[in-house]
Amino acid sequence: MELEQKTVETTSGAEKTARTLEFRGISKAFPGVQALDNVSFSAEGGKVLALLGENGAGKSTLLKILSGDIPRDEGEILLDGEPLALTSPNKAINLGISVIYQERQLIPSLSVMENIFLGALPVRSGFVSYGQLKAKTQELIDEFGLPIDPTVPVAALSIAHQQMVEIIKAYRRNSPVICFDEPTAPLTDKEIDILFNLIQQLKEQGKIILYVSHRMKEIFQITDEIVVLKDGKFVTKLNTSETNEQDLIKAMVGRDIGDTYANLSRNDKYGDVLLEVNNLTTYAVHDVSFKLRKGEVIGLAGLVGAGRTEVVRAIFGADAVISGEIKLEGQPVKFASPRDAIDAGIALCPEDRKEQGLVLWAPITHNVSLPVLKKLRKLLFLDSKAEDDLTMNAINQYSIKTPTLDKKVLELSGGNQQKVILGRWTSKLMTTKVLILDEPTKGIDVGTKAEIYQMVCDFAKQGIGVIFISSELTEVINVADTIIVMHNGRITGSVKREEATEENVLALAMLE
Amino acid sequence: MNNLTRTSLVKRVIRTQAFTLLILLVAMILIFTVLAALNGAKFFTGKTFVGILQDIAVPGFLAIGAGCLIVSGNIDLSQATVGALSGIIISIAISWWGLPWYVAILIAFGFAAAIGVINAVLISSIGMAPFIATLAMSAVIRALMQLLATDANGSLQSTITFTDPTLTTIGGYDIIWRIPATVVLVIVAFVVYGLILKKTDLGRSIYMIGGNRRAARLSGINSKGITYFLYINCSILGAIAGIAYTARAKQGGLQALSGDQFTGLTAAILGGISFAGGSGGMGGAFLGLVVLKTFYKGMLIVGSSTYLTLVLSGALLILALSLDVWSQRRQRKRLGV
Repeated sequence: MELEQKTVETTSGAEKTARTLEFRGISKAFPGVQALDNVSFSAEGGKVLALLGENGAGKSTLLKILSGDIPRDEGEILLDGEPLALTSPNKAINLGISVIYQERQLIPSLSVMENIFLGALPVRSGFVSYGQLKAKTQELIDEFGLPIDPTVPVAALSIAHQQMVEIIKAYRRNSPVICFDEPTAPLTDKEIDILFNLIQQLKEQGKIILYVSHRMKEIFQITDEIVVLKDGKFVTKLNTSETNEQDLIKAMVGRDIGDTYANLSRNDKYGDVLLEVNNLTTYAVHDVSFKLRKGEVIGLAGLVGAGRTEVVRAIFGADAVISGEIKLEGQPVKFASPRDAIDAGIALCPEDRKEQGLVLWAPITHNVSLPVLKKLRKLLFLDSKAEDDLTMNAINQYSIKTPTLDKKVLELSGGNQQKVILGRWTSKLMTTKVLILDEPTKGIDVGTKAEIYQMVCDFAKQGIGVIFISSELTEVINVADTIIVMHNGRITGSVKREEATEENVLALAMLE
Repeated sequence: MNNLTRTSLVKRVIRTQAFTLLILLVAMILIFTVLAALNGAKFFTGKTFVGILQDIAVPGFLAIGAGCLIVSGNIDLSQATVGALSGIIISIAISWWGLPWYVAILIAFGFAAAIGVINAVLISSIGMAPFIATLAMSAVIRALMQLLATDANGSLQSTITFTDPTLTTIGGYDIIWRIPATVVLVIVAFVVYGLILKKTDLGRSIYMIGGNRRAARLSGINSKGITYFLYINCSILGAIAGIAYTARAKQGGLQALSGDQFTGLTAAILGGISFAGGSGGMGGAFLGLVVLKTFYKGMLIVGSSTYLTLVLSGALLILALSLDVWSQRRQRKRLGV
């Protein structure tokens, strides 16, 4: 194995012919699902290639195979015509493949420079030469014109800057192939600009760049070519400049889903005030007040960290309330735990499905019955027949795709997982009055997103009050009836859907 | 409308680790029978199996308590020392303080419950890692035992004998042939805890907490309350194991149960209760224990030295742990997560 992965080739644009990365007949099966089915396409140096597809289309599997994380069943990956032996993540890195995942792969307690040169630290007479390390790192940082101090620990950097450090690390390794997996998810607009600037520089150096994202706007902004995958199969490869959003969605979904928002069948009758929040203050939010009526959908908009999640966690009894008052149907309530809130009729689909929403290794049945276990008790034992019925209802109501009732939740796709959580909160043993959805469409494909929007409207029609949190502006201003905007733990404004535009909501969110 | 079913019972049984263990057990019995015959000894006799059953009682109680805790994603390394402490306490209470046996047992339970509460406070309320908190607790308990076992003259008694007809009868009373009451009790306990884990809402909650504590809490499971319950439960079962041991030996000792310190844990892990939490059950733990004790007995009969057996049983724990980690990894890989 090479000890020094640097200087595989010069980078100064001296490459005459563009480099190529070719996927040839890649197949991969997981139990019960063909994740990739004979996928072939190639990517060229100096271009950004988008990998596009619904959840479960095979994008992540393809990246995992490329990064040596999982083995492929069939097919070959060739770099400049040479087949790559991608047997482990380490091998893949040495062969010139860098993947920048959503989850940072950095060591938080180590400094920026140590992270960037990890595995290739400059050594002088047996010791790490920190002077040299700092100088080399500074050189790289300057190349990209970033305001990062090489000596601070990575943990002290913002998420955006941590991502930059990862990109520089990939650049330092001189990887000819750099992949981005939903890189903009945690970033603000300004940070996205910096990221795109960086990608532009990498592109000019002739790197092969693969870019996975669900955000259409970005695809058109940064990519040159688009490969669409569907159900593990290659659908088409297009030039970004020669296509449009409508056609792409059609290719991804396999059908025309039309104007998602215009086709929603909404609720137009509100009932009495259901939930009233007065001057709510917790460790993260200040003086938050609003009213939610029966059948109303309130959207909480704002940037990441604006305090939206913290507001609903406090309402749900998951975070301590410092001061302020919460009234449910006119009665003041105090919830010491989520259990109290659930018993009072409040339900929360948390923002992180896998970490906070689901018991991934447990079957669907157990995940659906979780909040109503006590009600399923018959004499001493759980009534498993009733539990099966409950699960069957959820599967039918939300058309959850599964071969058996007790399939482990982690074997389901993201959209189906979200539906399991919805099934949990709307089963006939629950009396949900207020349904809180925190980022319910995160990482979910276009088709299922549209289904979830309609579900939100249907809940409202049943008289449920819905609080809908989303970081996607288009989504929140089109689904919610009233959009409450937060900034820095406070409410900065409230807009009706009819008056809401991305511009006026964003202005409130950034408070500029 | 369509109607789906659960995975068939046969499939589910075959997939469990208990099923694998059953096969292993049969294989082990065959191998020891042959080996013993080659050495001119006999393995496949009623006496052997009764002996194995007799060896199960004490570690059985440990395995039940430890198993429930591990299912919830916790661990208690102080459990066996709680057992030894309980033995010391009842011996002292009866022979030094002249208290009746049932009062002695109540005092021992009181201590055990208090230790369980302290463990739970350290782990669930203060947020210490279970390994660290309970390891430190076991050191405290060892010191406490020596403090208690120091007599009026200031000399440390490493064993304290007592005479109490009722207690020794309970500990020694052979119900069927040479199978003592404690064995019957532990088997009943395995069945009861098995039902609690698999059939009740409490048991389900324990699995869900082990599977994902945060998700369970946000779905209304009282994870703190259940964690307290489990640590107290584990400690009390440790005390019961200690009392069963002491009642049979007719004396409490500082070193009591030290041979079974990790037997409960090993049996639980061997039986498919994963350190990752949220999986396995009492049937597996019971079989794990039977496999372990059959192994000891077999080694003894084929003439292996005690020390070699101890080394091999340590190796067995490491093997069980590696298998646990390995099968987790394999599953993750298979599912691509």
